[in-house]
Amino acid sequence: MSAEQQTKRKCTSCGINIAGLSAASFDCPECGHGLHRCERCRKQSNLYECPDCGFTGP
Amino acid sequence: MNENEEELEEPDAQSAQATETDAQPENADAVAEQADEQEPVLDEDVMPDDEADLLIPVEEYLAAGVHIGTQQKTKSMERFIHRVRTDGLYVLDVSQTDSRIRTAARFIANYQPEQILVASSRQYGRFPAEKFATAVGARARTGRFIPGTLTNPKYDGYIEPDVVVVTDPIGDAQAVKEAITVGIPVVAMCDSNNTTGNVDLVVPTNNKGRRALSVVYWLLANEVIDNRGGEPTYALEDFEEGM
Repeated sequence: MSAEQQTKRKCTSCGINIAGLSAASFDCPECGHGLHRCERCRKQSNLYECPDCGFTGP
Repeated sequence: MNENEEELEEPDAQSAQATETDAQPENADAVAEQADEQEPVLDEDVMPDDEADLLIPVEEYLAAGVHIGTQQKTKSMERFIHRVRTDGLYVLDVSQTDSRIRTAARFIANYQPEQILVASSRQYGRFPAEKFATAVGARARTGRFIPGTLTNPKYDGYIEPDVVVVTDPIGDAQAVKEAITVGIPVVAMCDSNNTTGNVDLVVPTNNKGRRALSVVYWLLANEVIDNRGGEPTYALEDFEEGM
């Protein structure tokens, strides 16, 4: 896997590679682990789960 | 049905009345505000665990009506609802409200104060939102949210915050929409009738009552200050206007 692929942001909910401005990246409110949400998952309110602490949002 | 749409559900016992309220969604506000203005009914059953450790005594939450939802519920808010009252109002789980206030405060405290934007177009949320902004050093946009505030660099009032806090995703739809456009997280106070689409962190609460909004913003401000290592000095009275 190339370095470029490794740095790609993946949606925490659906796993898709994120592109575009409407996605959000923020730290987990509980543990601070980096989370990403794609535009579609944000719009459809798909649940996300922090891989570190298990916090489920939104 | 469109996959993006969520149907508002009503309690079965209220089916006849439900048809009327469905046709007039603004009634949800009226019913909740009416419930807020009445003498507080101190329900005893507002959370599954009676021994939960809360920021303030549960009686204070109940007196402010933080737990009172609306007569409609959405699928996305179902997990924050504890039960339905005989009058058809959904009751929010106070322990989850409390826990989400702590979580939201921890989340907001990660950002630079001036990079936080608080929006409230709802009348009862304006004063507490402005007070919250003053307390934590954030910026507030109350009343009408001018389109372009987050997206139009030519507009004089253009700002580039890192996080947006809204009082009601319905009333503050413009703020939410622009936050999505620029890709910043949205923290929203959601009632039982709100959909959580385009929201990144939900604080389940009654977002229509004057006292409920004062209590939630007060707790949130104190928790944010506490998370930053400061000493919370604000009293609830500071967040209540003319009461």
